[in-house]
Amino acid sequence: MFEYHRPTNLQEARQLVLDNPGARFVHGGTDILVRLKSGATAPALVSLRSLLSGIEGTWVGAGTRVSDLWRSPLASSCPAIADACHDFASVQIRNAATVGGNLCNASPAADLAPPLLVHDATARILGAAGERSLPLADFFTGPGQTCLRPGEILLGVQLGSTGPSGFLKQMRVSMDIALVSAAVSLRMDDGRMRQVRVAAGAVAPVPLRLAGVEALLEGLPPSPALLARAQQEAAAEVRPIDDQRASASYRRRITGVFVRRLLERLTTGGEA
Amino acid sequence: MSKIELSMVVNGRAVTAWVEPHHMLLDVLRGELDLLGTKEGCGKGECGACTVLVDEEPLNACLFPALEAEGRRITTIEGLTIDGGELGPMQAAFVDQGGIQCGFCSPGMILNAHALLRKEPDPSDAEIRHALIGNLCRCTGYEQIIRSVREAARRARG
Repeated sequence: MFEYHRPTNLQEARQLVLDNPGARFVHGGTDILVRLKSGATAPALVSLRSLLSGIEGTWVGAGTRVSDLWRSPLASSCPAIADACHDFASVQIRNAATVGGNLCNASPAADLAPPLLVHDATARILGAAGERSLPLADFFTGPGQTCLRPGEILLGVQLGSTGPSGFLKQMRVSMDIALVSAAVSLRMDDGRMRQVRVAAGAVAPVPLRLAGVEALLEGLPPSPALLARAQQEAAAEVRPIDDQRASASYRRRITGVFVRRLLERLTTGGEA
Repeated sequence: MSKIELSMVVNGRAVTAWVEPHHMLLDVLRGELDLLGTKEGCGKGECGACTVLVDEEPLNACLFPALEAEGRRITTIEGLTIDGGELGPMQAAFVDQGGIQCGFCSPGMILNAHALLRKEPDPSDAEIRHALIGNLCRCTGYEQIIRSVREAARRARG
């Protein structure tokens, strides 16, 4: 049992949460409603539906549904994002779940996090002192935890780059949470890899940029030996755990495989 | 908790229901409106037995807050039947292609497939399978379901 509020503006929404300790923001509700049906409690939900913007250029409003993100021109210019949307749950969930909800739920396995990370996303937050921005990598502070203070609202993310990218997600069955996910973005410039970005999900307490892999590759031609080293570096850089979905060693191994496949796809158009 | 009046259009008819704030659309359809075609399977958005169309889009009614249905157009499985009780084309294809066994997944499966064909009239088997990921069936093994959707698409294309 909970109250359900439908405020008409963001300040009203913030005040409702600040005035009701334990109240939660909700948009599509596909994570939080499941938790509330499984024993978690909240005195009230404050709906942000129709208060948060959709996509404008490289701005992805937190209210953007995954189904709408998938269909957007932005997703076609950022293949990692399109791939993540394709693998995201089911059509029923995609029609409810939002970018903001996926990021604020902050599962280490959040499907949209690695693609947004490799496109240099910045998170924009509304709080007591107005709006502030920070790199998306700093938004996540632990499993299920973000830097949001009580009453703060994630307004959306601004992509810093578009261009060639890819995303892979390992699941046991369809509709599964990722056992491992990985995203890579890079440009080929005169035979060399530039602006290399690599990120992985479900292999650390937070979605992770793999800075070591990026540094290894930046500015170099993609030789098979180098990509093999990148595979090893990716496997070493992540910090997975054993859980009911997979062992840590499996996750390490698949991270390396995925990073290598994505690099091959983006540098040679190889099979991935 | 005090009840709130909810107005929406269900299967083409304007309806009003009294709901509590924590109710989901599934509770309203089955409990208040006596539309029992929509089923509760898992209650947490994984099985798709509760799939309905909200403004033409498939959604899990078990995770759709009732109050968000205000002013929306809802289609349940009952809404696919033609006036007079004749089965709609997707329902008929499921019946004659063996896509129904126990029938529990069928309303959600049929509605989702119906929505698929409205968006994509000539889906490949892979596209059908991808569209139906969120609808679980414990009886058929899915082959007859894929065949039903494929046949419905073929018939609609004439």
